[in-house]
Amino acid sequence: MANLDTALKDAMTIDGAIGIALVDYTSGMTLGVAGGTPEIDLTVAAAGNTDVVRAKLRTIEMLQLNDEIEDMLITLGSQYHIIRPLTGRTGKGLFLYLMLSKARSNLALARHRLRTIEEQLEL
Amino acid sequence: MGDTILPRRTARRPEVPPPPRLPPSLAGNPGLPYPAIGTELADLRLQIPGVQGSVLGGVDGLLIAHDVPTGLDPDDLAAMAATTFGLGRQVGVRLRQGEFQQSTVRNAGGYLSVYAVSSQALLAVVGHDAINVARLHLHAPPVAARIAALLAGS
Repeated sequence: MANLDTALKDAMTIDGAIGIALVDYTSGMTLGVAGGTPEIDLTVAAAGNTDVVRAKLRTIEMLQLNDEIEDMLITLGSQYHIIRPLTGRTGKGLFLYLMLSKARSNLALARHRLRTIEEQLEL
Repeated sequence: MGDTILPRRTARRPEVPPPPRLPPSLAGNPGLPYPAIGTELADLRLQIPGVQGSVLGGVDGLLIAHDVPTGLDPDDLAAMAATTFGLGRQVGVRLRQGEFQQSTVRNAGGYLSVYAVSSQALLAVVGHDAINVARLHLHAPPVAARIAALLAGS
């Protein structure tokens, strides 16, 4: 089991990681961030991606799929963004948001690492 | 039990200087650029899902301009914004944290956020429970700054 700071630090050791944030999608506020660049404000990314997560959750509900999001991948020209809602009892309403450099990362490995980090995260 | 002496909070003379006197009211000033202010308020509602409406009020609690649907009383909102500001200003003075910037009240069914516009005006935004409040906090201060420029330019 890892606490928030350890989990964020671990996520930053994933190859190609640019930034990571733990976000509350009921409010769009961040509970913690690591990484980022002067140009990339992770709190702005968190607020914007909250709308992405909400839209997807609403769509799943409208389609009556009775399922949940395991993760979401958004591919940009030069980056991957991975969104992973927390599944633990203490993580309800939260998601991890990881930004990766496309050139420096291994997507399959990064996705696997993020799952492990999410499973071990204890708030 | 009967002779228990309860601690009493006695008034203490504040070592901090009293807050400056409030400037004259902006409410009812016919020279303000109302159409431009109205556009800013309407844009805020259109750009952020969950915003029910907003008012521009004076720090004296009087309404300057509003963009709220029927069912919400803009005069009440302006008064509540000033009340919120009053607490925020006292906190700022007593804790020496400077000028009031923002205050948010969250209730079971929604939010009321109050942003400082200038030394004379406040922006109050009413939001649904489902509003992305982080996005509102990113979006509203620039709106407040633009309204401040409009007020200053008039």
